[in-house]
Amino acid sequence: MLLIIPALNEQGSLPRTLDELRLHAPEHDVLVVDDGSRDATAKLALDRGVEVVRHAVNLGVGAALQTGFRYAVEHGYEVGVQFDADGQHDPRFLDALVAPVLEGECDVTIGSRYVTASGYRAPLMRRLGMLVFSGVVKLALRQKIADTTSGLRAYAMKVMEVCQRDFPKDFPDAPLLIALARRGFRLREVPVSMRERSAGRSFYTLGKSIYYPYKNLLASLMAWIQRPV
Amino acid sequence: MEFISRTQIIVALAAVGLAVFVLELVRRRRLGEEFSVLWMAASVVIAALGFSTPLLRLITRILGMLFESSTVFAVGLAFAVAVLLYLSVKLSRLTVEHQIVVRELALLRHEVERGGGPGEGA
Repeated sequence: MLLIIPALNEQGSLPRTLDELRLHAPEHDVLVVDDGSRDATAKLALDRGVEVVRHAVNLGVGAALQTGFRYAVEHGYEVGVQFDADGQHDPRFLDALVAPVLEGECDVTIGSRYVTASGYRAPLMRRLGMLVFSGVVKLALRQKIADTTSGLRAYAMKVMEVCQRDFPKDFPDAPLLIALARRGFRLREVPVSMRERSAGRSFYTLGKSIYYPYKNLLASLMAWIQRPV
Repeated sequence: MEFISRTQIIVALAAVGLAVFVLELVRRRRLGEEFSVLWMAASVVIAALGFSTPLLRLITRILGMLFESSTVFAVGLAFAVAVLLYLSVKLSRLTVEHQIVVRELALLRHEVERGGGPGEGA
């Protein structure tokens, strides 16, 4: 199993995330995909002995994940886990997240904050957005996915094989879930709890708060009606 | 040659000027041949409308336009929209290709720095 950590200017929080992973999940390989950071993200990761792939320029979290998928497939990993660099995700949930994929019960698991009460309370706008996209996904998949924006997911190798070629751009959220379900991959939510990010800036900044819903809605619609490549 | 107004002459000459400029850009390799096609088509059509008053009047009548000048502007605008759309499509494709190149480069660099190839690990 490979932990794929997309990171953009995360020197403030990545070291702690990596230390925590070494403590709670030392048996798993870690790949940091540095998506064109201008700070010491890559160096700090290398210092901690994990693999680092560096994008020469910033491409976005989706492309960073794709690089991770490609790496995982080339190196023969059975499962790839998308894990945030910012310290929001708790490594102690990894085993529960990966187990259904490893046992073949489903192809993708989503670490969800909403399946059970986890104490996490997102800002109002974000909650509203999640509600909308959860509705969109439900409409498209006829399956309830409460936490469409969760960045904690496990992917089986066959999913990564497809995703390294064909992947919704920029934000791998609702459009990705719809695209995956349309290809017949089985999704499942696994309850986890998340924390506030420890440092750095989220990929989801204020400036994107209008653009993101528009683009994500359009991409969701397209994922729904496009023929899989 | 009969002209409706001075504007028609200006438009016709401007279209010829545009065509010459586009050709010059292609000659200097500042503009690719494929990108010049739409620009050349635009200038040829507008020049034709500018120099041939009967053609301009005919098209104005067919399109139901009230003034000949509106026809020229409508045709020009249609070409502008076509060029912009074409460029957007091109840019979208370039973005995807650019991403692929950057990702491939990142993985290759990683391999080179590690001094090994894919296939290790599990």
